[in-house]
Amino acid sequence: QNITVQGTVTDAADKSAMPSVSVLIKGATTGTQTDANGKYSISVPANSILVFSYVGYTRREIPVSNQTTINVSMSSASQDLQQVVVVGYGTQKRRDVTGAISSVKGDDIARMPATNPVSSLQGKVAGLTVVNSGTPGASPTVRIRGINSTNSANPLYVVDGILSDNIDFLNPGDIESIDLLRDPSSIAIYGLRGANGVIAVTTKRAARGKTSINFQTMFGIQHVTNKIDVTDATGFKKLYSAQLSNLSAAPFDFTNYTGNTDWQDQILRNANINTNTLSISNTGEKSSTLLSIGYNNQDGVVKYDNYKKYIVRLTEEISLNNNIKVGGNITGFRFTSQPSPVSLNSAIWASPIVPIQVNDNTYYSMPSFQRAQVGNPVAALNNRSNVSVNGGYRAVGSIFAEVKFLKDFTFRSTGYIDLGFNNNRSYTPLPFRFVNIGENGAANTTTFDQTARTSVRQEQAEYRSFQQDHTLSYDKTLEGGHKISAIVGFTSIYSASTTQSGSRSDSTVNIPNSPDFWYINVANASNPGNFGGAGSESSSVGAFARVNYSYKDKYLLNATIRRDGSSKFAPQNRWGTFGSVGLGWVVSDEDFFKSIKGIDFLKLRAAWGKLGNANGLADNLYRPGISNAGTAVFGNNVYSSIQAAYIPDPNLHWEVVNGTDLGLDMRALDNRVTAQLNFYNRTTTDILTSLPIPNDSRSYFTNLGKITNKGIEVSLGWNDKIGSDFTYSISPNFSYNKNVVNSIGDNINFQILGNGGVNKTETGNSIGYFYGYKQTGIYQSTADLGKMPRMSNSLPGDIAYEDVNGDGVISPADRTYLGTPFPPYSYGLNVTMGYKGFDMQLEGQGVSGNKIYTQRRTSTFAVLNYESNRLNAWTGGGTSNVEPILDNSRGNNYLFSTYYLEPGDYFRIRTAQLGYTFGPSLFGKTGIQKLRIYVSGQNLKTWTKATGYTPEAQIGNILGGGADNGVYPVPAVYSVGLNVTF
Amino acid sequence: GYTADNYPYPSGSGPYDVYINAIYGDLRSYNVHADGFIVATSIRSDDADKGSTASDGGSDVITMDNFPVLPNNGRGNALWTGYYGMITKCNTALDAIANNTNIVADPAVKAQAEAEVRFVRGYAYFMLVRLFGNVPLIDKVFADPAAQSNVAQSSPDVIYPFIEKDLTVAAAGLPMVPPAKFPGRLTAGAANGMLAKVYLTQKKWGAAMGVASAVINSGQYDLSTPYAKIFSEDGENSKESIFEVQATASSSRKTEDGIQYASIQGVRGVNDFNMGWGWNTPSPFLEAAYEANDPRKARTILYASKAGAQSRTLYNEIMPLYPSEVPNERYNNKVYTNPSFRSAVNDRGGWWMNVRILRYADVVLMYAEAANETGATQEAIDKLEMVRARARAGNAAILPKVTTTDKTGLRLAIQQERRIELAMEHDRFFDLVRWGIADDALHAAGKANYLNSRDALLPIPQTQIDLSKNVLKQNPGY
Repeated sequence: QNITVQGTVTDAADKSAMPSVSVLIKGATTGTQTDANGKYSISVPANSILVFSYVGYTRREIPVSNQTTINVSMSSASQDLQQVVVVGYGTQKRRDVTGAISSVKGDDIARMPATNPVSSLQGKVAGLTVVNSGTPGASPTVRIRGINSTNSANPLYVVDGILSDNIDFLNPGDIESIDLLRDPSSIAIYGLRGANGVIAVTTKRAARGKTSINFQTMFGIQHVTNKIDVTDATGFKKLYSAQLSNLSAAPFDFTNYTGNTDWQDQILRNANINTNTLSISNTGEKSSTLLSIGYNNQDGVVKYDNYKKYIVRLTEEISLNNNIKVGGNITGFRFTSQPSPVSLNSAIWASPIVPIQVNDNTYYSMPSFQRAQVGNPVAALNNRSNVSVNGGYRAVGSIFAEVKFLKDFTFRSTGYIDLGFNNNRSYTPLPFRFVNIGENGAANTTTFDQTARTSVRQEQAEYRSFQQDHTLSYDKTLEGGHKISAIVGFTSIYSASTTQSGSRSDSTVNIPNSPDFWYINVANASNPGNFGGAGSESSSVGAFARVNYSYKDKYLLNATIRRDGSSKFAPQNRWGTFGSVGLGWVVSDEDFFKSIKGIDFLKLRAAWGKLGNANGLADNLYRPGISNAGTAVFGNNVYSSIQAAYIPDPNLHWEVVNGTDLGLDMRALDNRVTAQLNFYNRTTTDILTSLPIPNDSRSYFTNLGKITNKGIEVSLGWNDKIGSDFTYSISPNFSYNKNVVNSIGDNINFQILGNGGVNKTETGNSIGYFYGYKQTGIYQSTADLGKMPRMSNSLPGDIAYEDVNGDGVISPADRTYLGTPFPPYSYGLNVTMGYKGFDMQLEGQGVSGNKIYTQRRTSTFAVLNYESNRLNAWTGGGTSNVEPILDNSRGNNYLFSTYYLEPGDYFRIRTAQLGYTFGPSLFGKTGIQKLRIYVSGQNLKTWTKATGYTPEAQIGNILGGGADNGVYPVPAVYSVGLNVTF
Repeated sequence: GYTADNYPYPSGSGPYDVYINAIYGDLRSYNVHADGFIVATSIRSDDADKGSTASDGGSDVITMDNFPVLPNNGRGNALWTGYYGMITKCNTALDAIANNTNIVADPAVKAQAEAEVRFVRGYAYFMLVRLFGNVPLIDKVFADPAAQSNVAQSSPDVIYPFIEKDLTVAAAGLPMVPPAKFPGRLTAGAANGMLAKVYLTQKKWGAAMGVASAVINSGQYDLSTPYAKIFSEDGENSKESIFEVQATASSSRKTEDGIQYASIQGVRGVNDFNMGWGWNTPSPFLEAAYEANDPRKARTILYASKAGAQSRTLYNEIMPLYPSEVPNERYNNKVYTNPSFRSAVNDRGGWWMNVRILRYADVVLMYAEAANETGATQEAIDKLEMVRARARAGNAAILPKVTTTDKTGLRLAIQQERRIELAMEHDRFFDLVRWGIADDALHAAGKANYLNSRDALLPIPQTQIDLSKNVLKQNPGY
């Protein structure tokens, strides 16, 4: 007997009503659809099962069991196998993918307190390393599966098809999803560009079948949690006096130095961050439109630092008929920035015994022993703040037309533009007056630098890139379970950039301190000036083809080939062919697997690919180029000269990357468990290396060497509910990467030294490893010197190093491997909970196995403030076995050793977020579909032994990585947010 | 093609000047004639101290003063890269002169260009061999630039003949007088004068006399310039000058065409006396070495004022007080700048000051030294007297003529005269070493750590040994 069942279907994520959801009786052909308000009504047998389905959402089957009201919430299929992922010039169902591709939802990025979307990827994906910077607007350093080259390890960004080096111009709120393409079979189609991995961004499109307005806002406070522990005035006086005494120098006269200034407190602050996105979308019968505007504003935790971002996006798609679709999108981006005028090092280094200032125009200068090297940080801050007008524009857009014909064919042409224009103006004001505090009985004197002049500087940089993609694709499902999807295409990219800069100082009339005057023509043309300019252009062109074939959805094949050419290389070395093959086997669909309980889906993958890498390589390195060399002076006559800008290698060609991937995807226990496992082995040969010529300051690029990266990536997930209202998930991920330089310049007896010899890259070890002495202790006495291996000039109080080669003395031959700056282990943990309207998220993230070089402590050129570890410096037998004597004439203690290394391991509570979502029922006729409010904390707590502002490894420099030179703090962020949909 | 007559270079330059000018540019570089140069040639000696505040400069510079210098010393590495960088530019220029078919030039033009370049290369190796001893001999452009990484060292037995050859070719090919538009450009006199020092260092007395007399007899130089004027801005390129690194500055280009040489040694005071780092200060041992009332002392040592004893500069400015206003009692007066230049350039750093590398009195004293060693005693006495007579400046009451004919006594007198006449002019340390008296002199000056068997040479920079992957070998003792 039939009963009438009715109910509402809502989106589990945002509680909004879902129209057009198909509601079917299982096993029958009858059914209905939900209306515009998500409501349905259907007459069904009382014991039947209702099937709710909607494209992109997980199908739900619900037994009627005599209920007359069945409300259903449907989850987006983002975790599902039906989800579509970007695979390069197209998309593919996750189920059919044979490579290693991970996805991150845009919502997970938009609700994080960051103005740069990449920074929120940290810890979310195995195999992806993101090192954030606290500098407002700064791009994070991103590495995918280790370091494959000595030249550049940056990934390629692909935003809705356009290739780019960064996605700084995107508003986090505009991103639908981010796919990370990591293995060679996924990236081979990008030819010479994708070798370091690809971050493919899909921006939001108009929502399904309705008009909707969404507004998101977030406001947060950033706070520096770890200051660097330096001595206060008392500690400083004690240590400097001890140092002078050890140098047998006269004591310093501290009489007039009565200050006790914490310079870090003076330049750091709690800073605001605010992001906003308003988007309006509409889908009609033949067209869809999305308009979005965004505004992000981030103050830096260093005073006066600020970055603002304004973004406008318009996406439009028009279906002319069933077969022809045209559309396009454009993003307009504007940013302004106020960089901080003061370096954090000056606050760490400035002596605390100096007071700050007398008045707004008069500051105290540092004592004589550091006056020439360290300035008053607050004076620098106040003098040079708000003296620049920096900003830029970027316009990124595309237009496409797509024609379906002969049923199975689609031809699509897309043209892209990416235009950038940066414009900076700045001003050098007159300096403040400085009080030199009297030493050795002298009175205070006041200085004003009469030689200083005001000056203005203008800089313009322009960048343009044009890309075209034309693809013909064929999709066919044949009888007998054969499915073929094939694509052939042609693409080209042209990029060019120019920069100009000029500055002029004034020699007679001071230029006023007002932005209205900061143009070069304010100073008379006869005044001294400096002008510069540069530019370059390059292009690449490629043709590609890919076939995806599957048999009975069980056996998957993916094959790619691309022929690519790049103008960066000499004509005879310009062209190359690359390709990949990927195989997949959905084991769980085999008959024999049916008997295995608990495992819902199991796929095994294997892929191989060969590709080229020309990333990060300057244009035209095969040609010498000319640069200005020093001038010759004869009497007062000046003559110019030139030299080759670098030494060209006409045989230069791209790096060759070969990689294999083995993987496993599994879902088990009624889809409550998900697991992805990858093993990879990737080798780069013919590495493009800048070879340092010992007797030449010019660089020489040539191909040499081979690097292997092997690794494991594990991503696990557990989703379940307790009762009907409480849902939770736990998703850990883990990755391990082992890097080995198999060879580097073996035929020329060569290794690469980085950061003044601290880092070494040579055959047989990991790239850029730390190379130096191992500290075993401190020589406590002359007796120690007699019985321990030592250097000829070692003295009690000096660092004792390990005699690695066992020859009884300490010599440069005792330097050895001390660790790597690149974390081999990284991991993340994501826990979510939901209870009725409440949601909660906890994210943790960490790395392990790397070392950090405290380079900020190594300066010997002047007396700097001491970090508090020096309070334990050796002062006589038995006083310390770690900290050497305070004596900066003892060069042995400044040799690079484990004394200057600290463990880079850290674990951080990356995010803790609590939200509550109000459903449509609460708002009645206001039109609000959904409203979520949340409070969030980021970087709340970090466990680490590192002593800097942040333990995040500084890995941007491949050959000289891992040095902490007073890196900008990555602050904790406390934020509140709102997300409302009409 | 172009010929020497119509080659499109400005102001009468030669066709190879685009290369050669870059080499002259290197002579002013920080790593060639500024920081490391001052530290290694002067602060290491008994005549100068590090200066500045006690800990300024750190172990790098403190150990140059007090020994031993460590292989990781940044100044040592800077000198190495500075001189070898210049040598690379020389080799590039020589390669262009020999092989660049795009430049058409007269054989005579080529010969002169080659001579000019080979002077600089020879001079650079002369510095390197005295600083480091065994050094790699790189005398060509490598087809494979990477091969430069692994050139092994040659001993001084090989390096010195190479230097002699370069300087001999230079002496033969260079003009006696620089063209009018090129004051201070290299001459045959510079090549012969430098060659004299090369021979003297090897105790080749006769050869040294030969080339020194070529300078003396050239008629281009004399001792007519008053000692007080030689080192001033208005004394640049005087009749005294044989090889002088040229520098200039203007209010619009304060440093680009200059050299940081004077700035590093400038008075370390505040306000108008914030002239530089205050390094390389005359030592009390130099101060004590002067004969009574020698006027050269005041031109060499600039005293800070002291309580109750005001001191004035050459230009009558009142010096700041020691120790309350400046950290040092003495500064190098030979680099003290004229206030009218400071005002015109609007800078106190003195980047416009030329560096006097070789001057006529040096050649005269070299001749005297070589003559004494070969037994030409009277010639030695005469040459010595030429220098003392100029220093005396007509005051018969001071600096009596040296009359001893005892070889040892005269040798000591000539050594003493070199020390005083050329004080703070970068020869003292090399002189002590070649005279074999470095241990005694430096120990007497309180540098107890000095060990001639080790410290006469700087350590080969560890960075360079590492870059060569241990092809380069460390000097003994380090």
